[in-house]
Amino acid sequence: MKMQMRQELIIFLAIYLVLLILPVFLYKDAYVIGILITCMVWGAMASVWNFTMGYAGIFTFGQFGFFVVAAYTSGMVTKYLGISPWLGILIGGLMAALVGVLIGLPCMKLKGAYIALITFALHLVVAPMIKVADPLGTGGSTGLMSIPKLSIGAYTFSRIDLIPWYYTALVISFLVLFVVYKTIFSSIGLGFIGLRDSEDFAKTLGINEYKYKLMVFGLSAFLTGIMGGFYAHYAGIISPRLLGLDIFLLVMLMMIIGGMGIFPGAFLGGFIILFLNEFLRPLEAYRFLIFGAIVVVAIKLMPEGILGNLSFFKNRMGKRLLIGSAKAESSNSQKV
Amino acid sequence: MNIWVQQIIQVIISGIVTASAYAIMGIGLSVIYGISRVFNFAYGSFFTWGAYFAWILFATFSWMNYPLVFLIVVPAMFFLGMGTEKVVVRSLRWRKNWQVTTMMVTLGLAFFMDNLALVIFGGFAKPLPPLFRGAINPFGFTLSVQDLAMLIIAIVVILVFSLFMSKTRVGRCMQAISQDMTGAEIVGIPIKKIFSYTFGLSTALVGTGGILLAPRYFITPHGGWAPFFRVFVIVAFGGLGSIRGTLYAAFILAIFESFVSWGLGATWVMPFWFLVFLGVLAFRPSGLMGTWG
Repeated sequence: MKMQMRQELIIFLAIYLVLLILPVFLYKDAYVIGILITCMVWGAMASVWNFTMGYAGIFTFGQFGFFVVAAYTSGMVTKYLGISPWLGILIGGLMAALVGVLIGLPCMKLKGAYIALITFALHLVVAPMIKVADPLGTGGSTGLMSIPKLSIGAYTFSRIDLIPWYYTALVISFLVLFVVYKTIFSSIGLGFIGLRDSEDFAKTLGINEYKYKLMVFGLSAFLTGIMGGFYAHYAGIISPRLLGLDIFLLVMLMMIIGGMGIFPGAFLGGFIILFLNEFLRPLEAYRFLIFGAIVVVAIKLMPEGILGNLSFFKNRMGKRLLIGSAKAESSNSQKV
Repeated sequence: MNIWVQQIIQVIISGIVTASAYAIMGIGLSVIYGISRVFNFAYGSFFTWGAYFAWILFATFSWMNYPLVFLIVVPAMFFLGMGTEKVVVRSLRWRKNWQVTTMMVTLGLAFFMDNLALVIFGGFAKPLPPLFRGAINPFGFTLSVQDLAMLIIAIVVILVFSLFMSKTRVGRCMQAISQDMTGAEIVGIPIKKIFSYTFGLSTALVGTGGILLAPRYFITPHGGWAPFFRVFVIVAFGGLGSIRGTLYAAFILAIFESFVSWGLGATWVMPFWFLVFLGVLAFRPSGLMGTWG
């Protein structure tokens, strides 16, 4: 346990060390810096998703809902009420957490496909709600425009110089990932991993299922919301198109490729997938056809993701992985 | 007759007609989840593809008619479903957490199928010709022959389906598996083969629903998600594994939907379904007549 914790922390810190010094070589290339910022945003989001799905074993598809709710909340309170964007991001996160807990409540009694569907329904319902709420100032289907930029003191961030954005994304995503890491390797994390692997046994040990599940919902929504709030101010314009299935597919792929139930995996997956996405851009419509096929093939051939297939992770992590290739006991396969 | 009464009756009729297509698709979803325990996220994509297959037939052969379309597309969907089960789902079944894995795989498959449709057919909506033209006017309100035909086809399909489940050997095997998988395996039911049939049956049903609904709406590559979600709500409301519950739920909810869309506008339809879903899950997760499993 201790060793494993160190290894994951080392990989995690190594990634950030590279990210920290990367702009020294790339500061002139705004295109690559822009992609790296997106990588951090989506990669952090994929990691939080992985935290819910891979570690806590809650099969949720609602992360984009939380993301967009937070982005709109943060964008609207700063635009209309003149609140500082930094505070706006926090308010967005809290709003997402509220939605997360509200969605989590009916999920308490449910399992598997029901949770997947209810959270996916949240995903499907946010876009029509934004359009319905147009009179409140959401901007309807065209989107919310001219969202205030972040600023520190007298300095306001702009799209001309991406380096400040880059380091802000670095710090925020680092904090988000650090919270995820700390939670996974705390007694709380042990609690929900126990619930995931052997629910009845964990319950007999006195682990309160409701408390943990609700906590996971709230926390993951909050962290996703923080990234959403940041994204709103960074992009300056958000629209219901964020809920399109294309981005959904990309972020899901990050998690699958990175390895579900491996902490830094999804974040690394973010970089792999987004650069692959840029690389395949000339293929246009065929791109997402390929990505869809990759999901199927990756799960079938590489169920543990890229990190999971590295040898030093394989043995140690075997028991922690959500999707293993090992044959399950027959009792496991017959539960409904 | 009072204009309001007439309009309300029209809304109810429109609800009943949509309900008949939802009922067929709901049974398909209930079957696949109840018997093979797989939650098929590509269900909506099979819906879309059923309609696209019909469109291809109509676009290629000018003399094509609906009976022939059903005769070709429905078996094609059956074999497509069986093939999918064999190639994509089967080997995952013996892994740990296979239910999660199959959901992810079928979701990936859904993206693949949707984007394949987008690449082949483009993003523009494709129309299908109406099933029948013309309308009849019983008691002063209009009922198009198309709607009537949809209703009749749906009733026939549902009757054939329930006969199949209760009278044939394969149907009884399916029931046995849905009640107790281990027991069914012990008495020698070839469960792998039956799973394949189940998958095929369910895609054939959803394909039928796709062909029936396509003349009313248009076919678009991503158009399968909304009906898929509605059908899931219906199945959850009716109770998983209960055919009769699914039927009741389809009619109740589709009539409500049609009132919502008439009274509040089409944008409120999705929020309506979401609220129903939340309500069902909060107050009676086992549904109207289901056993909670």
